[in-house]
Amino acid sequence: MNLSFFDQFSSPSLLGIPLVLISTMFPALLIPSMDKRWVTNRLSTLQLWFINLVTKQLMSPLNNKGHKWALILTSLMIFLLLINLLGLLPYTFTPTTQLSMNLALAFPLWLATLLTGLRNQPSTSLGHLLPEGTPTLLIPALILIETTSLLIRPLALGVRLTANLTAGHLLIQLISTATVTLFSTMPAVSLLALLVLFLLTILEIAVAMIQAYVFVLLLSLYLQENV
Amino acid sequence: MTLASQVFANRQAAMAGHDSGSQHQFTGFQKYFNSYTIIGRRNYVIATYTGVALLVLYFKFRPKKQAPAVTDK
Repeated sequence: MNLSFFDQFSSPSLLGIPLVLISTMFPALLIPSMDKRWVTNRLSTLQLWFINLVTKQLMSPLNNKGHKWALILTSLMIFLLLINLLGLLPYTFTPTTQLSMNLALAFPLWLATLLTGLRNQPSTSLGHLLPEGTPTLLIPALILIETTSLLIRPLALGVRLTANLTAGHLLIQLISTATVTLFSTMPAVSLLALLVLFLLTILEIAVAMIQAYVFVLLLSLYLQENV
Repeated sequence: MTLASQVFANRQAAMAGHDSGSQHQFTGFQKYFNSYTIIGRRNYVIATYTGVALLVLYFKFRPKKQAPAVTDK
């Protein structure tokens, strides 16, 4: 069957059985399980060091109430990081290219930060909708603009992750197709395309890590305003 | 707000506190509606939302002018 460039993004299935759950849960298998030893092996030590670093970075701007979110934010970060990086392997499905999954992650978490703020400190949460020191004439317009900005946050979170990863994967596929197609007719150009592909792959590794970090960082910022 | 300005504003707020309304002494209307204290900003937000809601309700429920019925003579 003839494949199009977008077939890599279709949800995987085998004989009609959807495999998206396996592809989403697979990264968890790569994380070593908890060890009862005090001094663990190199992999576990490295993993623990990295998780500690991520948690400290995310939690340092937050107050004590916000630290309750440490587990969910750190685990979300590791989850997205692993999925994004594994998706760069050839013929691997990337669940975070699906807008449905990213919106399913972004919307409830954003809503939770909003409701936390409105429930625990409603005046402060409402007050943040107007930036400090705004000139009087601009106040109504700015309140409406800030409200729109608030409501568009989950959409922006989800679409940012989806668009970055989808665009990256598509570019990799296009340039690799060009490299292979040109190899027989114009090998010099094919070599140039191969160099571009190499640089693009390095960029995509960076983008995969950065996008996971940005997703969780923005959620922690939204939490900071509300806690 | 861009991501960079948001990060900067939040870091500043974390360091300096939520608002700088303590050094302002407001009287009258500005005591309750100002863009410096958190309560003043909250009141402006509630007033704006109330205004928008009233506008929506006005345009939804205003009596529509009915055209006179055309009758054959």
